[in-house]
Amino acid sequence: MPAITISHLTKRYGPVLAVDDLSFDVHPGKVTGFLGPNGSGKTTTLRILLGLAAPTSGSATIGGLTYRQLPDPVRQVGAALDSNTFHPGRSASQHLKVIATATGLPHRRVAEVLDLVGLGSAAGRRVGGYSLGMRQRLSLAGALLGDPGVLVLDEPLNGLDPEGIRWIRGLLRALAAEGRTVLVSSHLLSEVAQTVDEVVVLSKGHAIAETTLAELAARGSVTRARTTDATRLTGVLLGAGIQVRLVDGSTIEARGADAEAVGLAAARAGLPILELSRQDEDLETLFFNLVHDRQEVAA
Amino acid sequence: MNATARLVRAEVRKLFTTRALPVSAVIAAVLAVTSVLIDAAVAGKTGQHPLGSAAETYQMLKLGVLPTVVMLVIGILAAGGEFRHRTIVPALLASPHRARLFVVKVAVIAVFGAVFSAVIFGLGLGTIVGTLAAHGIHHLPAQTGQLYLGSVISGACFGMIGVALGTLTRNTVGAIVAAIGWAVFVEEIVLQTVAPHLDKWLPVGASIGLTNPPSASVLPPLAAGLVLTGYAAALLLLASRTTIRRDIG
Repeated sequence: MPAITISHLTKRYGPVLAVDDLSFDVHPGKVTGFLGPNGSGKTTTLRILLGLAAPTSGSATIGGLTYRQLPDPVRQVGAALDSNTFHPGRSASQHLKVIATATGLPHRRVAEVLDLVGLGSAAGRRVGGYSLGMRQRLSLAGALLGDPGVLVLDEPLNGLDPEGIRWIRGLLRALAAEGRTVLVSSHLLSEVAQTVDEVVVLSKGHAIAETTLAELAARGSVTRARTTDATRLTGVLLGAGIQVRLVDGSTIEARGADAEAVGLAAARAGLPILELSRQDEDLETLFFNLVHDRQEVAA
Repeated sequence: MNATARLVRAEVRKLFTTRALPVSAVIAAVLAVTSVLIDAAVAGKTGQHPLGSAAETYQMLKLGVLPTVVMLVIGILAAGGEFRHRTIVPALLASPHRARLFVVKVAVIAVFGAVFSAVIFGLGLGTIVGTLAAHGIHHLPAQTGQLYLGSVISGACFGMIGVALGTLTRNTVGAIVAAIGWAVFVEEIVLQTVAPHLDKWLPVGASIGLTNPPSASVLPPLAAGLVLTGYAAALLLLASRTTIRRDIG
C-alpha cells in the first residue's frame, strides 16, 4: 500500500495552472525523487500534501488521510519545506523546543536530533547567524524530531557542502532501509541520482514519468543506425513499437531500444544495416530532454 | 496534557524566546517611571496643577497608554512575525488545526497583555505613591483603581488588535506603521479636527476612555471597554477567516 497518494491533484492560482491533474504514489522503504525544473509544481504539490495549501480539485493523502486528518502529524510525517522558517533571534534549540512543546515531544529529543544533524555544538547559537547549510540541517532536524515514518523534504541538498550532501544521502538511504517513506524533491536529477530508488518527473504541473531510476536510465539509451533506406526503417521500427527519429536519408536514432532489437527489426524487413552504434545519455541530459520536450509540446 | 494546553505552552515559549519582549518591557518600564517623575518635577509650575492635587495625580495616572501601545506592538510582532520569518510553516505542521492555533495565540496575548499592563501600571503607580509620600502626601484619587483596571483591559484588547493586524497584513513593519499612523494622524489629528464627537467611538478614543479620568470628551469606562472589546472581536473575526482559508506560500 502506498504511503503517499497524489490523486488527480489540480491547483490553480487565477489563470496559472500550477498543478495539472497530477497522480502518483510513493511507497515505503524507498527514497522517491520528486523531480522537475523550478516552477514545475513540486513545492505546490508538497504544500498541498502538508495541508498548507488547499487543492483546487483532487487529493493528496498520507496513509489515506489528509495531513489535517492525521491524529499525530509530527510523529507520522516529518517535513522540511525550506531553510528559512526560523525566527533569527531564537537558537536552534529554542526553535525545536517550541515544536516539541506544541506536539508533546520530550525535550531530550531536541538534543538528539541536533546531534544527529551535526548541530549539537551550535544548538545555543541564534539561527540568524547560521549559514544556509546549517539552516538546511536544522530544517532536517525539525523533520526528524517526531521520529516519523514518512519524510517529505523539499530541495534538502540546497546549500549543503559536498560533505553535507554525502552525509544526507547516507541518512536518507538509512531511513528508507528502516522501512520509512522518503519523498525528496529536487530540480537536479544528478543531485539525487545516487540516493533515489524511484522518480516522479514533473513538468508544467504534470507527471511525465513515474518509474524506477534504472528504467529512466534505460530511456536514455540511443541506438544510431545507418541503412540504405532510413525512411522505411523508421516505419518498420515504429511498427515494432520502438521510439525512433529520422536523422537524415540514411540514418535513424532509436531511443530506449538496444542495438539487437533495431538490428533484428531491420533484418526481418530485409534492410541492410551499414553501421550500428549505441550511445547512453547521462541522466542529467536525459532529464533535461524529458522536461524540455514536454515544455516545447506544451508551448 | 491536551493539545490546546501544549499549544498554550508553545505560544508562551515563543513570546519569551525573542528579544522583542524584554526590550519592550524595559522601554515601557523606563517610560512609566520617567513620565511620573517628569510630571512630579513640573507639578506646580506655570500652568501645572500642584503636586498632590487630584488633577495632577490623574495626569500622572495617564500612564496606562504605555502598556497599551507596547501590547499593540507585541501583538503585531507575535502574529505578523510568524509570517515575516515564516515560522508559521513549522507551527502549522505541528498543529494543522488553524482555528485552534489562532485562538490560542489570541488568548495567550490577551492574558499576557493584561498581566503586562498590570505590572507596568503597577510600577508607575508605585512610583507615584513613592513620589507623593516623599512630599508628605498619602492619598490617591478615588478613581485610581478604575484607571488601573481600565489599563489592564486596554492592554489586553490592544494586544488582541495587534494579533489581528499582524495576521491580516503579514507584515510587521507595515502593520506597526499603519497602526501608529491611524492612531496619530487619523484619530488624533484628522478626526479631532473634522468630527471630534466621533473620536471617542474609535479604538484609540475608547482606550482613552479606559485609561484617562472620566470627562465629557471620552466614553464612560464601561462603554469604552465594550467598544474596544468590540473592535478587537471584529478584527479578530476578520483575521481568523483569512488565516483559516489562506494558502501558506
